[in-house]
This record gives sequence, structure tokens and C-alpha cells, in this order.
Amino acid sequence: MYGWIAPILLNIFVAPILLGITWVLVYRTEKYKRLKAEVEKQSKKLEKKKETITESAGRQQKKKIERQEEKLKNNNRDLSMVRMKSMFAIGFCFTALMGMFNSIFDGRVVAKLPFVPLSYIQGLSHRNLLGEDYTDCSFIFLYILCTMSIRQVSLHTLSKPQSAGARSDEVKWTAD
Amino acid sequence: MSNSSKRKEESHLLMNGGVKQSTWTKVFNSKAVWEEKDEFLDVIYWLRQIIAVILGVIWGVAPLKGFLGIAIFCVINAGVLYVYFSSFQQVDEEEYGGTWELTKEGFMTSFALFLVVWIIFYTALHFD
Repeated sequence: MYGWIAPILLNIFVAPILLGITWVLVYRTEKYKRLKAEVEKQSKKLEKKKETITESAGRQQKKKIERQEEKLKNNNRDLSMVRMKSMFAIGFCFTALMGMFNSIFDGRVVAKLPFVPLSYIQGLSHRNLLGEDYTDCSFIFLYILCTMSIRQVSLHTLSKPQSAGARSDEVKWTAD
Repeated sequence: MSNSSKRKEESHLLMNGGVKQSTWTKVFNSKAVWEEKDEFLDVIYWLRQIIAVILGVIWGVAPLKGFLGIAIFCVINAGVLYVYFSSFQQVDEEEYGGTWELTKEGFMTSFALFLVVWIIFYTALHFD
């Protein structure tokens, strides 16, 4: 029963490689860096303007702020589009890998659970396994646990802390 | 020479002659000063992961089974960190959004990590 090695290796080795490739193909590009710098600059400018504006400010001032907000929204949208391409690529790769390993380990017990999972989790932990021993663990359950743990820890290591509980956008969204 | 270079790694001289401690030095110092909130939150996060791995190994080797193992893990994880940040470091919890925010920092990841380590050690030592 050494099947438990597969999801561990997937998350320790394959995930960082895919994230690294995305980082090179997307986050290092001039377009992305330019967009990100533009969004940050506009956000700061807008914040400052909103702080200084008073209730008696003229229509022109308010219209100016609205125009800046619109511009910021457009730039944010462009940034999201760039990220979405790599999100799809990563999602596709992981789905393909998952599908491949799922078929290899389908119906096989990869580990033994030291506890009996709750009934609504048994559908996942005992997926496609024969028998009624619910301490038998399927590949998918262990893979999900590894994704929630090992990959999250790797992402946390790679990202720069920016605020309490939040991590850099560049790495946060790649967690699935 | 190697001793002095080691000391320099641990503390950095500031321009005004003060000494800035490295994060890991502050972790083991009671009532350390945490200039950046994120630095302390990171420490809480990593301490949680370390506790998860240690308990996962112990529970897997023993073996400790059933929901009792999960319950004890939750109590130890939350309890040890609570004692650490409230009694040992004596941080102002309101600065970090309250006790609950500090308690939940990294908790789910540590719980998943604990389960993975527990399952692996239990399987490898008692079934392979």
C-alpha cells in the first residue's frame, strides 16, 4: 500500500513546477508588470483624492473621481484577463494529471485512515472502493488533503505577506 | 571569525546603534516587540504547521485512532498557540483583530497537514 506516495509527490514536485512555469510565462511579462504598476498607482491616487474631497466638492471633482474609478476598473479587468489565461492553463494541467492518476488508482486503497470519516465525507474518502470498511482511503481524498496542506504551505512560502491573513495576489489565486 | 559572522546573522545593527532581532530570535524571546503585524502572523502560521507535523507523527506512530485524536489535536493546537501569544508574547490581541483571528490563522492548513501526516505514518507503520 504505497499509493499514498503519489498525491504527496504531485503536490511537492509537480505543483511548484507548474506554478514556476506560470510565473515565467505570465508574471514576468512586461505587459503584466506594467498593468500591475498602473493599477497600484491609480489605486493610491484615487485613495488620496477621496481622502481630500469634502462634501461641498463641486460636480467636476466628483466626475473626475468617477472617471478615475472607471479607469481603475478597466485596468483591473485587463489584469484579471491576463491572470485568467494562466489560471485556465494550470487548471487544465492539474485536471489532466488528476484524471490520469485517478484512473491509475481507481478502485485501489491507497492508505488506511486512523478514523472513520463522517458519513457525508465517506462519499469522497471511500470513492469507488469495494467493501464497507470506511477506513479505506481513496486516492482522491488523500490528494485533496495534500492540496489543502502541502500546496498551501508551499504557496505561503512563495508569497510575500501583505496584510493579516492575505497573501500576494500573484500566488494566492493559483490555489485550487 | 565564524562566531562573529553567526552573531551578525542573528542581529542586525541599526543606523542609530540599536539592534534589530531576527524573527526566529524573537520567537523564543518573551514579550518580543513585533513591529510588523504580518511578521507575527507568519510566526503563528508556521508554529501551527510545526505542531501539526509533530502531532501527526506521534499520533501515527502510537497509533492514536478515532475522533479523539482529532479532538486532542484541535485542543493542543489552539491551546498551545493561545498560551504562546497571550502569555508568552503578551501581544495586544485587538491589534490583530481579536483572539479569534489569531486562533484561526493557518488553522485549516495545519489541520489538513496533520491529517496527511497522521494518515501516512499510520498507514506506513501499521499496514505496509
